[in-house]
Amino acid sequence: MRLLSVVAIVIIFGFLFVGILHLHPVGEAVGNPDVLQQRPEYGIDINGVTTMDDYFLRNGQVETKSNNIVASVVFDYRGFDTLGEATVLFIVVSSVSMLFFTFLKSKSIISAGVPPAGQFPKIESRVITFGAFIMYIMILSFGVYLVVHGHVSPGGGFQGGSVMASATALLLISFLITRHMQQTRKIFSFFESLGLTIFIGFGFAGIGISFLFNFLAHTSTAFGRIIPFGPNQGYLISAGILPWLSLAVGIEVFFGLSLIIVTLFHASGVKDTNSLR
Amino acid sequence: MMYYFFLVISIALVITALLSIYFRDLLAAIVSYSVFSLVLTVLYFLLDAPDVAIAEAGIGAALTTCIFVIAIRMTRRREE
Repeated sequence: MRLLSVVAIVIIFGFLFVGILHLHPVGEAVGNPDVLQQRPEYGIDINGVTTMDDYFLRNGQVETKSNNIVASVVFDYRGFDTLGEATVLFIVVSSVSMLFFTFLKSKSIISAGVPPAGQFPKIESRVITFGAFIMYIMILSFGVYLVVHGHVSPGGGFQGGSVMASATALLLISFLITRHMQQTRKIFSFFESLGLTIFIGFGFAGIGISFLFNFLAHTSTAFGRIIPFGPNQGYLISAGILPWLSLAVGIEVFFGLSLIIVTLFHASGVKDTNSLR
Repeated sequence: MMYYFFLVISIALVITALLSIYFRDLLAAIVSYSVFSLVLTVLYFLLDAPDVAIAEAGIGAALTTCIFVIAIRMTRRREE
């Protein structure tokens, strides 16, 4: 059995190393014509590209009107995979909520309510709460920036959502939220479902051609404006439905991860842990 | 120059990963795992993947630590 696992590990690492050998060198932009002249094996022109990432790098800005090629791959070319990822996160949040549902709904817990203040360790220092509040505002605005600029600069829905959820974690750890947990969880679960619904709604809006078709990029609105090829600063309002999908994923990830943390925190504050078993 | 920087980061990754296994204290293990995620964030950033770095910093360094700390609140310290 031990020999078998060693063989499996060797095979998996062999596949990984073979995959790594076929990667592009770090920092070498294939869309750059100078690089193309030096390395002619990485694609010749738009129609004669040899590998998939060459195609994305050369045609991503033209086809999806987005400056961030990663965002154009994640939300446009592979939008269906992103829907799958968002659904996986939704299922995880649902299973965590389901795991603690009866535990948090039972009579004794409701009468006990949210854990009283005495049950927590006494760290109600003004430095901690005030510092946590300041940092909460800053982290939250950074997360919103990442979500909104997902199609222009590095970032996007998942990254911005996770950054915003870490701001929620900061609020919980500094005990700024100790009351109204039940209502908070209801609001969070509503907004999490709303984010996924917006994503699927935008997918169905382009159903005339295909599911998750970037229909706004081919209209004459500001979302369909043509951006220049190569490195440029880009526009905030561009890239078709990409900013909207990024916003939807950001809402879903933020409220989903926050719901996980709030549920765990709520459950961990309850003294009687016998009903957990 | 860059080569030695990558070497230092790789060694730091291995050390923090081993520390997070060998610490007996759960909180110390989690903190060293968080440091592991932070060092990994620097590595991702140097390898021209800033969006992966942001995701690693948000989920690996902050959220995972928070969830583990919340879980540890329910345990009891048992010294022998």
